[in-house]
Amino acid sequence: MANTEAALKEIMTSIEGTIGVALVDYTSGMALGTAGGSKELDLTVAAAGNTDVVRAKVRTMEHLGLNEDIEDILITLGTQYHMIRLLRGRGTNGLFLYVALDKGRANLAMARHQLRKIENELEV
Amino acid sequence: MSTATLGDASPSLSPMLARLAEERATGALLRDHGTLYLLDGQVVHAESPAAPGLDVLLADRLPREGWQEAFDRAGPYGRVGRFLVDSGRLADGELELAHLGALFDAAYFALAPGSGPTRFRHGVAHWLGPVRPVSARLVARECLRRRELLDTLWPYPDTDSSPVVREDLDAPAPVTRRQRDVLDLADGTRTPPDIARALGRPAFHTLIDVRRLAAAGAVTTPREETGPAPVAVPRWVADVSQDPDIALLRRLRNALEAL
Repeated sequence: MANTEAALKEIMTSIEGTIGVALVDYTSGMALGTAGGSKELDLTVAAAGNTDVVRAKVRTMEHLGLNEDIEDILITLGTQYHMIRLLRGRGTNGLFLYVALDKGRANLAMARHQLRKIENELEV
Repeated sequence: MSTATLGDASPSLSPMLARLAEERATGALLRDHGTLYLLDGQVVHAESPAAPGLDVLLADRLPREGWQEAFDRAGPYGRVGRFLVDSGRLADGELELAHLGALFDAAYFALAPGSGPTRFRHGVAHWLGPVRPVSARLVARECLRRRELLDTLWPYPDTDSSPVVREDLDAPAPVTRRQRDVLDLADGTRTPPDIARALGRPAFHTLIDVRRLAAAGAVTTPREETGPAPVAVPRWVADVSQDPDIALLRRLRNALEAL
């Protein structure tokens, strides 16, 4: 398993168009690590807020009786993509990766693929 | 929580912790509900009786003997964390994430308002050694955020430390898998920290689950069986028994009418 700081930095550098990334504890809403971000994108606030997004989806699935796990959640804004990827590996269960991408520069399929690769490094 | 302190940027940092951080102090900050370990003014570890330790959180990954070996070999040098990684027992990121989880969990209880007097023992270091130091400001800010989060979920803290019991609801709301694990252990004897320890989860996470369940009416604290308060009887009633006469009955009637 890579050190979290290294994994987050790798996401910043290897995924084209990444504005910021956070590794978030899903229950408490705390960011365990962040990279990138800007004045416009406070990753700590984004981390806490997006736990509500994940929770709402988990609850809805319980209501529907869907016995499935969430792999990822994609939110498309005018100029950005926000991707939430839930981790389930040993030691990372209960965490998710939150990545904000510049819509004009990012290739969504490529970003997803890269993220899965880095996630595996984090989980090994 | 006092908000009067050192400027807007750190409304949550106590003056003592702020000073220790500024002085780059090394040692242990002792409070009633836990201990914070500082190294060069940064928080390197925290412990609390309410929060399960790293050994509990990592029980699936590292058996007791693994801890014992690391403790025996690296404990005296205060490098147990480093030893666990270097010897291949734990991956770097794995220790780091579990450690951060344990640190913020215990710090929440240690820094709770009203956690008694604060003492600082200079020079004391934790046997784990530094894993990923965190600034005191960040720890204090996160503790405040956590308190506020709990309050927004269900503003009654009695479910945090009392035994909790599940309520039989006619139409219970669906719960998540994590919450179901907590509900299964809410037997009216265990407190949320007890449940956290049994599940090998951070205590704060269980406080969150329990407050959400309390807000949904799914758990409660067992009611004290007080029963009706005993009625005070006038002292002379004790002398009444044997020989009730008219005078006594009159006194009784008068007394009753006077009520």
